[in-house]
Amino acid sequence: MTLKYAYFPGCVAQGACRELYQSTNALTQALGIELVELKKASCCGSGTFKEDSQLLEDTVNARNIALAESLDLPLLTHCSTCQGVIGHVDERLKAAQANNPAYLEEVNGFLKQEGCSPYKGSTTVKHLLWALVGDYGLANVQQRVTHKLAGLKCAAFYGCYLLRAQDQIPFDDPHSPESMENVFRAIGATPVYYRGRTQCCGWPLSSYATTQSFQMAGRHIQEAIALEADCMVTPCPLCHLNLDSRQPEVETVIGQKLGLPVLHLSQLVALALGVQPKELGLDRHIVSTRPVLEKLGL
Amino acid sequence: MQVLFKIVRQQANSAPQFQTYKLEVDPGNTVLDCLNRIKWEQDGSLAFRKNCRNTICGSCGMRINGRSALACKESIRHEVARLQQITDANTSVSHDGGIPTITIAPMGNMPVIKDLIVDMTSFWDNLKAVDPYVSTEARQVPEREFLQTPEERDRLNQTGNCILCGACYSECNARDVDPTFVGPHALAKAYRMVADSRDSKTEERLEDYSQGTKGVWGCTRCYYCNEVCPMDVAPMDQIGKIKQEILDRQTEQTSRPVRHRKVLIDLVKQGGWIDERRFGLRVVGNSFRDINGIVSLGPLGLRMLARGKFPFSFEPSAGTAQVRSLIERVQTAELDTPPQS
Repeated sequence: MTLKYAYFPGCVAQGACRELYQSTNALTQALGIELVELKKASCCGSGTFKEDSQLLEDTVNARNIALAESLDLPLLTHCSTCQGVIGHVDERLKAAQANNPAYLEEVNGFLKQEGCSPYKGSTTVKHLLWALVGDYGLANVQQRVTHKLAGLKCAAFYGCYLLRAQDQIPFDDPHSPESMENVFRAIGATPVYYRGRTQCCGWPLSSYATTQSFQMAGRHIQEAIALEADCMVTPCPLCHLNLDSRQPEVETVIGQKLGLPVLHLSQLVALALGVQPKELGLDRHIVSTRPVLEKLGL
Repeated sequence: MQVLFKIVRQQANSAPQFQTYKLEVDPGNTVLDCLNRIKWEQDGSLAFRKNCRNTICGSCGMRINGRSALACKESIRHEVARLQQITDANTSVSHDGGIPTITIAPMGNMPVIKDLIVDMTSFWDNLKAVDPYVSTEARQVPEREFLQTPEERDRLNQTGNCILCGACYSECNARDVDPTFVGPHALAKAYRMVADSRDSKTEERLEDYSQGTKGVWGCTRCYYCNEVCPMDVAPMDQIGKIKQEILDRQTEQTSRPVRHRKVLIDLVKQGGWIDERRFGLRVVGNSFRDINGIVSLGPLGLRMLARGKFPFSFEPSAGTAQVRSLIERVQTAELDTPPQS
């Protein structure tokens, strides 16, 4: 049976990380997964709506989830932050159905006034990582591998919202996750375990406290390099912005040359499935991904 | 059952080393029960803090199997089950059913005095820095005590549960890089003061908590404090509530963190998705008012251009008009009936 999802692209994959948009499409095509893009969806607020108002975050994301519910499909994210925000709204509204129906009524009242479908609580919100591990199955991914990434040492960088924003997450212990590392093993790569893999990249501070933000990113990259990682791999484009796009500034703040390539999860898996690097936008990173491709003989 | 305890031993300013102890334990024992037995029966030199044994005093905070927790709250059964889940989740590990090993280390973000005992001076100093007392000026009403309605008192319950154990501070990613940031425990207490109907210093407090990165804007939203708090205080949520109060009072021009929040909502109203080019220009460049801000974006912009990464176009969501109207409707409703924070 073909897996099919209501695809929530998010802002960054349509802006500063278009290579993610491109590579998620390439990956799902290669795996035979069907995506129906939610063209009418909107930004989840990246945790910032909630700082203004919980009701705002809940209402905007109830609309996003209801768009997927109308298609009778699970909502698929490929960003840790989108996942944590929308996934937690889904948890909160499902709990409200049982414990606080007046609140859900208030949220649905707003949706109704705008002609949106109401939130029903009839679907699930899942990250591409969880779809690969739980729905597609890593054994099935492994069967489709044409270019085993043998010898490539990958340091996972999960993103806070994927691990800790929701009350419950599937598969992983939030302090000692294994999903990313299991994906690496399935495609022949070698996981590198380091302290920073579950920590914050510093992105939320990057617009106004660059020193703190870049120190955070710098420590993680240094650790990964010290353990001889060939690259970092992240399921979060916001982490990618701080770890890749800002890496030259990170180097200035910590006073050390780094040059560690940072790949999106979709890019890494698609490489193992034989998708050409060019199709994955690997030439459009700030830190050159060439050392990774050379190591893989691509 | 037999359990191995792999415990960090350390003197101040020296390198940590692991020491392993084997115990025959009951699964219902707490980690603290076991530490006590190690100290009493095997090694009197092992140092750790303890007192109430019942999740009340907050003394026995330490890192148990990779996260900060109270030794008196976590049972051996729970820790062993958790370790088993982690091992099971790893597709490369063989499950040989050996003796389970519980790893114990001192809390983070504070220097070690000995073994599992850390110097909490900065933790207490940072708590004091938020003026964690209901303002005494409000006590000038002469004839009777200050009365609160049950609803007003209920607003203090969650933050009132804090037992100052240090678990949140230990894992705080912002504290790790920012010595000025007061930490999640202090800001949860700060919100307890802001929410207290008897306190007469709300405006002063909000002004103080919004300065630089020592207060709420220093939080990087890593969620660790929420995750590890043994009392469900959810410090990050309390920090968020202080931010709400500040955002209600301050404008885009007050500071860059405030601008970051307000511009984000505005851009979603305009395009459904965020146009990151305009986000940078408006937040960091303050719409060309902040020349240093604009200049600081230069290298990033040039790098992105050079690598073909710069987004030259922006496609608004097909649902933009609906989302804009929805956001405005929520905002109007909240102006009419301000939420009870």
